[in-house]
Amino acid sequence: MNNNVRSYKAQKVLERMGKKLNRQMVGSLAACVHCGMCTDACHYVLANPGDVTYAPAYKADKIRKLFKRHFDWTGRVIPWWVSAKSVYTDDELEELKDTVFGKCTNCRRCSINCPMGVDYATFNRMARGLLVSVGVMPEGVAVVSKDQWEIGNQMGVLKEDYVDTLEWLSEEMEAEHSDPKATIPIDKMDADIVYSINPREVKYDPRTISDAALIFYAAGEDWTMPSEGWDMTNFGLFSGDDDLGGAVAKRLYDKVTELRGKTLVISECGHGYRSTRCEGPNWAKMNVDFVMESSVDTMLRYIKEGRIKVDKSKNTTPVTFHDSCNNARSCGLTEEPRELLNLVCSDFREMYPNRAENYCCTGGGGAMSMSEYTPQRLKSAKIKADQLKATGAEIVVTSCHNCVDGLADLIKHYKLGMQVTQLVNLVANALVIEKKVAVPVGEVPAEAEALAGRKILVIDDEPDIVTFISAILEDNGATVFKAYSGDEAIAIAQKEKPDMMTLDISMPGKSGIEVFEELRSLDDLKSIPVCIITGKPELRKLIYDRQVLPPEGYLDKPITEEGLLVNVRKILELVHEK
Amino acid sequence: MSDLLHFSEHILQEVALVFMAIVYTLRLTWLLRFKAGGDRQAPTGTAGYTTPRRGIIYSWLNIASPWAMESTRTQFFFYIQFVLFHLGVVSAIGLSFVIPYAPSLLESSLLVLILQISVGAAFAIGVGRMIRRIFAKYIRAISTPDDYFSLLLLTVWFGFAFFAVPNSTVNGEWHLLTYFFLTAFFLMYVPFSKISHYLYYPFTRYYLGRTMGHRGVYPIRRAPRTQN
Repeated sequence: MNNNVRSYKAQKVLERMGKKLNRQMVGSLAACVHCGMCTDACHYVLANPGDVTYAPAYKADKIRKLFKRHFDWTGRVIPWWVSAKSVYTDDELEELKDTVFGKCTNCRRCSINCPMGVDYATFNRMARGLLVSVGVMPEGVAVVSKDQWEIGNQMGVLKEDYVDTLEWLSEEMEAEHSDPKATIPIDKMDADIVYSINPREVKYDPRTISDAALIFYAAGEDWTMPSEGWDMTNFGLFSGDDDLGGAVAKRLYDKVTELRGKTLVISECGHGYRSTRCEGPNWAKMNVDFVMESSVDTMLRYIKEGRIKVDKSKNTTPVTFHDSCNNARSCGLTEEPRELLNLVCSDFREMYPNRAENYCCTGGGGAMSMSEYTPQRLKSAKIKADQLKATGAEIVVTSCHNCVDGLADLIKHYKLGMQVTQLVNLVANALVIEKKVAVPVGEVPAEAEALAGRKILVIDDEPDIVTFISAILEDNGATVFKAYSGDEAIAIAQKEKPDMMTLDISMPGKSGIEVFEELRSLDDLKSIPVCIITGKPELRKLIYDRQVLPPEGYLDKPITEEGLLVNVRKILELVHEK
Repeated sequence: MSDLLHFSEHILQEVALVFMAIVYTLRLTWLLRFKAGGDRQAPTGTAGYTTPRRGIIYSWLNIASPWAMESTRTQFFFYIQFVLFHLGVVSAIGLSFVIPYAPSLLESSLLVLILQISVGAAFAIGVGRMIRRIFAKYIRAISTPDDYFSLLLLTVWFGFAFFAVPNSTVNGEWHLLTYFFLTAFFLMYVPFSKISHYLYYPFTRYYLGRTMGHRGVYPIRRAPRTQN
């Protein structure tokens, strides 16, 4: 291609770059002296020794070259002298995309290690935004952004599913505590607290919602959850799209204002906290007149004020804490989670390095949604894996849903055998609740009867997993059929007509995705609910991309007994109601 | 003293300084033309721990606090080189004022020794840095012609500064002439090269410190490595 002819997209990127630049970014773009002090700060570099393309200064120069060529004196007059270079083709934009999305999680670790104070993460985000504005982005970023623009949350959870889940959780809690006050209020006006969550909680981890609800209930809090505008995550932070960032943040702020809530509590999510609490007002260009706080602060306050009682002897397994980059390096939320952990756990072990110097979970910056970069993400996760292993802990706690997925993925990949959990789960587990109403033991339905009469087909090529899942379901009264391959699963399903199925995605031969599609295409089986179970979260999209009805549930490996039962019961209840 | 040496010590330096000041002013005007991003959020982090002001001061002093950044803690030898190199810059610049305007100061053999040690060390470090820039894979990959030239210019300048320190013309004027002509070139070249980084330093550090202070991150806190 003639280098004097610039593609439409390249032209737009350069035009928009001029509008995006602010003084902070210009300073960072102009000030680098190529000293290389940032190099070892990056987990990608440490995991890929010798590969210079991962060095922060090298990556930053991909953007800096454009800046110098078009905005800086020397670069405009004698570009070769300062290695300034323009961009002409769409292929060059694709290359830039692979750098800014695929080789950096915007974790900001290099920024705090730069003697000059060059904030690479900030202008890397700008570069992401420029590419997104011309449609050059990883497919996962496009899909998630679209969901957040159009449906209002980044996982495309429909309002009825969200409200159904809350109502179901609410009913469970009310039944469990035999107290009409033990509920999840929705759209309650003038509540002291409006609780916002990550859509991942509704879709894959409802236990975090019920645990938070339990804590609010135990604290006697006047709280509510909004029926709309409830997603506190914001993909604008990852995609660099300030318009999306502003729209999402405003949606949430407007809802809190409409409900006349006094405090917006943000559930444990690093990027959600940073987006809602810190960046949102800037993107939305509005001043927020209510208080916003992390649920970590809320829980800690409840304990300090004596509103809830906790017993740390209920959490005795050794735990360590992973600081989310967005919480620690961009919002200073480092001490409160530790204080809380020490109140609810008896064996907390510090990770090194920690707080603002901690390494990224390697799934940050939206990396979990970019399946094309999964191999390099998992390779770079070696640094985090070594860090986790050195703690000797069995559970890693983190205040970030993104980190939960990132850590779970690397723990599986590096066979660390650790579990990932959040503070809300530990606090809920440590709660000491005085029963408001005494219920005779005989009247409580036995737990073993919960799935009585249900026929469930468990499909997984790993015998250990099949045994594990089957044992849990059988212990709860279900009749379980086992299939170790796709063909076997379809044959059993046609013969037994189970009430639901659990399905692994990664199986040799016929994959779970093919099995799922086939199940949905068969008239006699398509209405049977399916819960997808996989250790590869990045494959979710493949399932949801199919031109068939989506699965009724989804679970990440490693599976916990509680998580499995909650999901299975929810699916069966919802299907039964329909 | 020849007319040429007198010219190089006075008029040439003054013209170069004025030129540099003008270009620097234009450069700062250019930088300030870009709008500074604001921060509408309420402060985050532990209440009462820090403020934007504290963050700014911490950020500015980061470079003088090698314990503050992991990069300087773990590469302490490189940090020491950085300190000595920049002390050499200060000495060599100072020398360009001392010789023409206060030559009597150089009658002190102690001051001459200190200045020579300073610029001599900077010269040696300059040579080491050039070797590193040529042979270290990561550094070579990010180096531009300007990076090599600026370093070469400074290193050679340090070399001539070393010989210029005694301000003696007993063995000829060539070393003083070269030093002053190099200084003038250096002053005029700086605004267009990476050497102008110190012009941006207060700004990059100010904004990073303000944000990180407002958000409760600066000063950075950490717990030491412990045996689990």
